[in-house]
Amino acid sequence: MAYRYLFEQMVRRELRQKYKGSALGVVWYVVNPLVLMGAYYLMFGIVLKQAAEPDYPLFLLVGLVVWLFFSQAALGAAPALIEQGSLIRKARFPREVIPAAVVTVQLVTFLVLFGVLGPLTMLLRGTFDVALLLLPLILVCLLAFVLGFAFAVSVLHAYFRDVAPILSAALLPWFFLSPIFFDPNNIVEQQSAVFALEWINPMAPFIVAVRDVVYGGVVPEVAVLAYVLIAGGLVLGVGVWLFRRMQGELAVVV
Amino acid sequence: MTSAFGADEVRPGEIVLEHASRSFSIRADRGRTVKELLIGRSRSTGPPPVEALREVSLRIEPGETVGVVGRNGAGKSSTLRVLAGIVPLHSGRVAVGGQIVTQLELGAGFSRDFSGRENIFLNGALHGLSRAQIESRLDAIIEFSELGDFVEAPVATYSTGMFLRLGFAIAAHLDADVLLIDELLAVGDEAFQRKCEARMAEQIGAGATLVLVSHDPLLIERTCERVIVLDGGEKVFDGSVSEGMPFYHRLMGTEDAVASP
Repeated sequence: MAYRYLFEQMVRRELRQKYKGSALGVVWYVVNPLVLMGAYYLMFGIVLKQAAEPDYPLFLLVGLVVWLFFSQAALGAAPALIEQGSLIRKARFPREVIPAAVVTVQLVTFLVLFGVLGPLTMLLRGTFDVALLLLPLILVCLLAFVLGFAFAVSVLHAYFRDVAPILSAALLPWFFLSPIFFDPNNIVEQQSAVFALEWINPMAPFIVAVRDVVYGGVVPEVAVLAYVLIAGGLVLGVGVWLFRRMQGELAVVV
Repeated sequence: MTSAFGADEVRPGEIVLEHASRSFSIRADRGRTVKELLIGRSRSTGPPPVEALREVSLRIEPGETVGVVGRNGAGKSSTLRVLAGIVPLHSGRVAVGGQIVTQLELGAGFSRDFSGRENIFLNGALHGLSRAQIESRLDAIIEFSELGDFVEAPVATYSTGMFLRLGFAIAAHLDADVLLIDELLAVGDEAFQRKCEARMAEQIGAGATLVLVSHDPLLIERTCERVIVLDGGEKVFDGSVSEGMPFYHRLMGTEDAVASP
C-alpha cells in the first residue's frame, strides 16, 4: 500500500509520456484502436463479406476490442522496464508498478471502447440477459490473464532482448488465428481443427466468453467459463512468480 | 513509508553488511539474447567479471556519519547501491533499517518532459510517500531548491546546477533514517554546497545516518566522523577520519598534494 501513490504516478507518466507534445495527446489511445477497428470492419465486413454471423460488424468489433486490450498491453509491457531503466537503476521501489501501469492504461482504453461498444451491441441485438451478470467475472479473469502475461514478457525482455521482437512478430498470426473474424465452427470442417482454434489459443475462450454474453446474450459454455477462470488465475500466478524470481538483477540488466 | 528490507533485525538508521560480495560481468550490451540462451554460449566471452565487493563486513550505528573513499572502481558506488537495495548481493547479508533516501546520481529518476513540480511528486512517490506527505513538503522543497518559477518548467530545460538543487532539495526533505549520497555536492556552487551541508548536519542532528561517497577529501573531513577506505572491492580501512584520510592519501599516493593539518 505504501507505493499506491507511485503506481498512480506511473500511470500518469505512462499516459502522458507516450503522446506528449502531440495535439491529440491522450485521445490517441482511443483513436488508434478505432482506426484499426474501422479498417478491419471495412476489410472483413464489407470487402470480403463472407461471414454467416448476423450483425457481423458487431460480432467482429466485440472480439476485436478484447484482442486489442491484450495485444496493446503485451506490446507496451515488453519494453517497459527498459524504458524506465533510469528509475530502476537509481531507486528501490516495487518494480511491478511499471508493467502494472502499462496494463492499467490499456485497461482504461479498453473500458472506454467497451463501455460504448458493449451497450450499443446489446441495444442493437436485444441481448440484455441475466448472462450479463457473468461479464464482471469474465473481465476480471481477462485482466488477470493480461496482467500475468505483461509481467512475464516485461521481465523476460529485460534479460533477453529478443522477447519484444518475437512477441510483435507472433501477435499478427496469433491475431488471425483467434476467433475474432470468424467462428471456428463456420470455417473449418475437421473437428480437430475446430478444437485447436477454440482451445489451444488461450485468448480464444476469453473472446468467445465476452462475445457470448454481449453479442449472443447467452451464458457461455461451462467449459469456456472454466477455461477462462483457470487461464486467468494460472497466467497471473506464473507471471507474478516469474517476475518476483527474476526482478533482483533488474538494476544491473536494464 | 518504505519498509526497509531486513528491518526486523536492525534499528532505524542502522546498517549491517556481513561478508558482502558482489561481482559484475562486463558487457557492452547488458541483455542476453535468446540465441545465446539456446546455444548455451553465454558470458564466457569478453573480460572476466569484476568483483565490486569482496567479503565486505561493516556495521554502522544510527546517527553515524561515514565517508566512503577509494579509487575509481574500488566498489564505492556498488556499496551504496547494495545498501540502497537496488542491487542484490551474490553472497553475504545486508540489512538497513528505516527510511532510506538515496541520491545516487544527478537528476536520477527525473522525467525530462515533466516539470520540476511533477518530478518532486514522482521522486517522493519513488520513496514510498503518499500524495499528502509530498504536498506537505512541497513548499519547503521548492524553496530549498531556489528554482523559483522554473519549478513549473520541464526539467529538460534545466542547467546542471538546477538539476542538482532540485534533486538535493527533494532528498533533503524525505525524513531519512539513512541518507546514501554519491558525490553530488561538488556540482553546485559554493553557497549551495554550504546549504546542503547545513541541511545534512540538521538531519544527522535529528538522528539520521549518513553514508557519503566522495572524492573530495575536504568534504569528507567536514561532514564525516568515520571513514571507510575501499580498494579493489575490499575494505582496507575503517576508522576515524583523522586516521583514515592520511591512510587514503598514502593509498592514492597523494599525501604530498594535501597540506598536512
